[in-house]
Amino acid sequence: MPILSLIIFAPLLGALGIAFLPSSRPSLVRVVALGVSLVTFALSLGMLLGIRAQGGEFAFSEQLSWIPSFGITYHLGVDGLSGALVVLTTLLSWICILASFGPIQTRVKEYFISFLILETGMLGVFLSLDLFLFYIFWEIVLVPMYLIIGIWGGADRIYATIKFVLYTLVGSLLMLVAILATAFSHQAATGSWTGAFDLIALRGTIVDPTLQVLGFAAFGLAFAIKVPMFPFHTWLPDAHVQAPTAGSVILAGVLLKLGGYGFIRFAIPLFPDGAHLFAPLMIALSVIAIIYGALVAIVQTDLKKLIAYSSVSHMGFVTLGIFTFNQQGVDGAILQMLNHGLITSGLFLLVGIGYERTHDREIAKMGGWAVRTPVYAALFGFFLFASVGLPGLSGFAGEFLVLLGAFIANPMVAGASTFVMILAAVYLLYMYQRVFTGPLSPFLKGLGSHLTDVTPTEILTLAPLAALIVVFGIMPTILTSSFAQSVETFLMSAISVVGQ
Amino acid sequence: MITAETVFEVGSLPGYAPLLLLLPLAGFAFTAAIGRRLGKMAHLVPLGAIVVTWALAMSLAIPALTGGLGEGGASMPLFTWIASGDLHFGLGLHVDALTGALLLVVTTVGALVHLYSVGYMSHDDSYWRFFAYLNLFMFSMLLLVLADNLLVVFAAWELVGLSSYLLIGFWYTKTAPGLAAKKAFITNRVGDVGFALGLMGLVVVFGSLDIHTVLAGVEAGALVGPAATVIALLIFCGAVGKSAQFPLHVWLPDAMEGPTPVSALIHAATMVNAGVYLVARMSPLFAASHDAMLVVAAIGIFTAIFAASIAFTQTDIKRVLAFSTLSQLGYMFAALGVGAWIPAIFHLITHGFFKGLLFLGSGSVIHAVNGEQEMTKMGGLSRKIPITYATMLIGTVAIAGLPPLAGFWSKDEILGEAFKFGFTWVWLVGMVVAGMTAFYMFRLMGLTFWGKSRVHDESHVHESPWTMTLPLIILAVPSIAIGAALGFPFANGILVNGLEPIFHPASAMLEHEHEAWTLFGIDGLLMLASVTIASIGTVIGLRLFRSDNSALLGRVTKRLQPLYDGSRNRWYFDDLNDLVFVRFGRKFADALWWFDRRVVDGTVNGVATLTSSGGRGLRQIQTGRVQNYALGIAFGLVAIAAAYLALAG
Repeated sequence: MPILSLIIFAPLLGALGIAFLPSSRPSLVRVVALGVSLVTFALSLGMLLGIRAQGGEFAFSEQLSWIPSFGITYHLGVDGLSGALVVLTTLLSWICILASFGPIQTRVKEYFISFLILETGMLGVFLSLDLFLFYIFWEIVLVPMYLIIGIWGGADRIYATIKFVLYTLVGSLLMLVAILATAFSHQAATGSWTGAFDLIALRGTIVDPTLQVLGFAAFGLAFAIKVPMFPFHTWLPDAHVQAPTAGSVILAGVLLKLGGYGFIRFAIPLFPDGAHLFAPLMIALSVIAIIYGALVAIVQTDLKKLIAYSSVSHMGFVTLGIFTFNQQGVDGAILQMLNHGLITSGLFLLVGIGYERTHDREIAKMGGWAVRTPVYAALFGFFLFASVGLPGLSGFAGEFLVLLGAFIANPMVAGASTFVMILAAVYLLYMYQRVFTGPLSPFLKGLGSHLTDVTPTEILTLAPLAALIVVFGIMPTILTSSFAQSVETFLMSAISVVGQ
Repeated sequence: MITAETVFEVGSLPGYAPLLLLLPLAGFAFTAAIGRRLGKMAHLVPLGAIVVTWALAMSLAIPALTGGLGEGGASMPLFTWIASGDLHFGLGLHVDALTGALLLVVTTVGALVHLYSVGYMSHDDSYWRFFAYLNLFMFSMLLLVLADNLLVVFAAWELVGLSSYLLIGFWYTKTAPGLAAKKAFITNRVGDVGFALGLMGLVVVFGSLDIHTVLAGVEAGALVGPAATVIALLIFCGAVGKSAQFPLHVWLPDAMEGPTPVSALIHAATMVNAGVYLVARMSPLFAASHDAMLVVAAIGIFTAIFAASIAFTQTDIKRVLAFSTLSQLGYMFAALGVGAWIPAIFHLITHGFFKGLLFLGSGSVIHAVNGEQEMTKMGGLSRKIPITYATMLIGTVAIAGLPPLAGFWSKDEILGEAFKFGFTWVWLVGMVVAGMTAFYMFRLMGLTFWGKSRVHDESHVHESPWTMTLPLIILAVPSIAIGAALGFPFANGILVNGLEPIFHPASAMLEHEHEAWTLFGIDGLLMLASVTIASIGTVIGLRLFRSDNSALLGRVTKRLQPLYDGSRNRWYFDDLNDLVFVRFGRKFADALWWFDRRVVDGTVNGVATLTSSGGRGLRQIQTGRVQNYALGIAFGLVAIAAAYLALAG
């Protein structure tokens, strides 16, 4: 059974099905969308169990001839790393669809169609092993996201969505050039197009030093924009602030991970020498992102922007860990990707829940929120402390391992980055104190009975995330052991190929 | 010279040991989940959990202290918490005499504070939440002292910080508790940055954070020189934060915004001792660096006198006790810094009991006068609340260091060893602080219990219910007797015998020799000196505050006006912090935010504007005439061909 294709295209099929439903029945559309995303989630869980049972680098793979004259194939594969990210994607997708039931009241059908296409795109990126196929999925992701921000977003949505798309496009077009250059060079070297676009075939064969450097630069730029790394991060706060809640959740939870995944799966294994050449720069930019993102988060006045900048800081750990090229750093980076996906998604959901009631995100207007909605405040506090990196919750293990990896590589880098422990506590607790504690603010008081506590549906969207945060906080080895093989392969493939 | 110590046989813990963690954790989970529906019954499960935990803890602590577990203590591995490559950070339990000492204080005071809170918090709407948090704290604190791996200690370290944050900010509808809770957590994190980096350093050196592996490595001489100093001091940063030593002391006085039982449990008797415990636990690491030891001693003794000088003039009863706690913790660090390991732990125990008593007593006072904390609005309460008065008087005599109560024994040992190990300056300052301690404590007693009443409405003054007075009476027993029970006969008491094997490696590294204790010799003289100075402080305190002496007091204050103002304003240290970190830090972050919008994002938007205006310009070329395009294509082809030839050639 082609389980991977099934997982990728189940949401797309669902989207097609929804297209035939009448627009006049939005609740039917919602339920079908949720059902499709739940089926996809179940399929991905089945796949995960299969990965556990199977050995080898790619537990499941599928390869079909596609454009044989250029050696382009429909090549999919899943290992521990992509498996975990696939499940994160399918989990967040159904949560987002459920969380959109209330907030999305216009063009409901189009919204869920976009969302399901988006899911297909993201899953395709994580499962592709052919560069051309990867590129197609990478670009597919942009279209529904463009629509989600541009149609269902806030007041300034057009500026934000165009900025998001153009920024990402600049990076990905250069990546396309690099993909083509790699393929041509492969053809020139072997005299055949076979495997010219295949990651597995190309890995370790690109010995042209110029291609190593330029190829890494092009791939690296595309991924750096997606992560986003400093100084390519300014599209993120705008996109987050304008996106509807579910858009923010997917953006933070999955789209940013595409960048980190791209580095681990494509950029570094294909161009290890280029990666090593750029590593000091990447580490420097990561440390800047970690500290700078946290400092800028302190002074934000909009809740979503604050969390967007915290993402810049947290994602800095991902790139820092990857470019230490050691076990702890890479283990930590992957943990950080998964846990940031759980924690920050939770925070964006919570901000959205608040926005539903207040139609505002201005921190200065808030105050004493906990007085009226204690459960909401408690849940917010939970995700907030997870984001602070409290041990026992899932954020800690990843950050600690990244810092440890950095310390092993260079203690000064770790020394600088560790200061984020203070800054994260400052920006999050400062916000929490202003928003949730103290006497009830006049603005919130003015909302009267509109300021209700979380509904059971909202709890249902948060509960799986909270449960996983606790489980992975106490037993992060569940995750590290599941992707141990991927990390081993990555570390092997990150060794220099030029001059061998 | 440094030699590898013989590794003691480590026994196995009884199977119920994990219950010490699981009971409070279950109590927390249960109460957090359904406590709200239990109303005034919400305390039953958490209280029961802690009482059982106390009994189990005693069944481990007593054999541990009296040698029943063997010199190496007993362990129980549980599971691997974090693993990456060859590195494994495991969660396991370990109990030895040092753990036993901590268990004794933590669970005893913990259980009594739970009982006390039944009365103290009975009128609070969030009764259940308070007990849930208390159980969470107990779990975290027990994990901290039981863990056999430094990474787990660090985790517990953060978790007690979380409990502290939750409990300081317990009354969240008021502004001040929220601010104080935030300040406590952030200030602690400053120290924790150092702690975390120190741990990373240890991982790099030893490939493990298992406490016994690390210490065995240090004892074998694997970590010396500047690396030892740097790592020891980084770890000490954590201790400075958690135990509120200068310059990270600022959070503790503000933490008094929390309910008083919390102040007694977390901010006097248990959590703030974590730093002392950490340094004691890692004693060989500190002993490997004389510089690090010197810093520990200096920070400790400076905090002792600095905080005592502030306690002189505070008028909030809980703040006096808070500064007193800082000062006494400073004593403990001074002791650790001079290598007086056992006296430091001794003082940790005695202080835990009598300071717990004093805080709970102050809570009883506050309860009696309707929530008032200002001593200027108290006075003359001794006959109104006699049990509170009597027990607090016991606590005061104990902390003042007057024999034969508990504080005398431990304080005398600290001062004595400081002198004998050649740290005359530590001894001298310590003596002054001993006198100051007696003075400010009798000032507290005078303003609260003696003289004329300044209470607003005296008719409501009442003694507290039995749930509150019983813990006071129970705590009065160790405040009187635990010093003699653990510390007598001198140099051969239970505690010395129990802890000696644990600190032997560190003392050997410092080449400290223990001579026989002599009553008619140096030890007797030192004891006489410390009793004398405590008596002087007591007499001055009584003279000024036993009865109404405002005229004399006014004269003294006037003569010392600048000192008085400095002390009252905490030597302006909070203002300095506010200026440097809060205001300047904010300016810096604002500047970065401007940079982000104008420069980083400005560049992006600038490029976009340039492109679109460039596009408008280029649009002129699109004439729509086919011959123009054909010309363009021809030129283009020529250009590409030329470029190709040039590059290929």
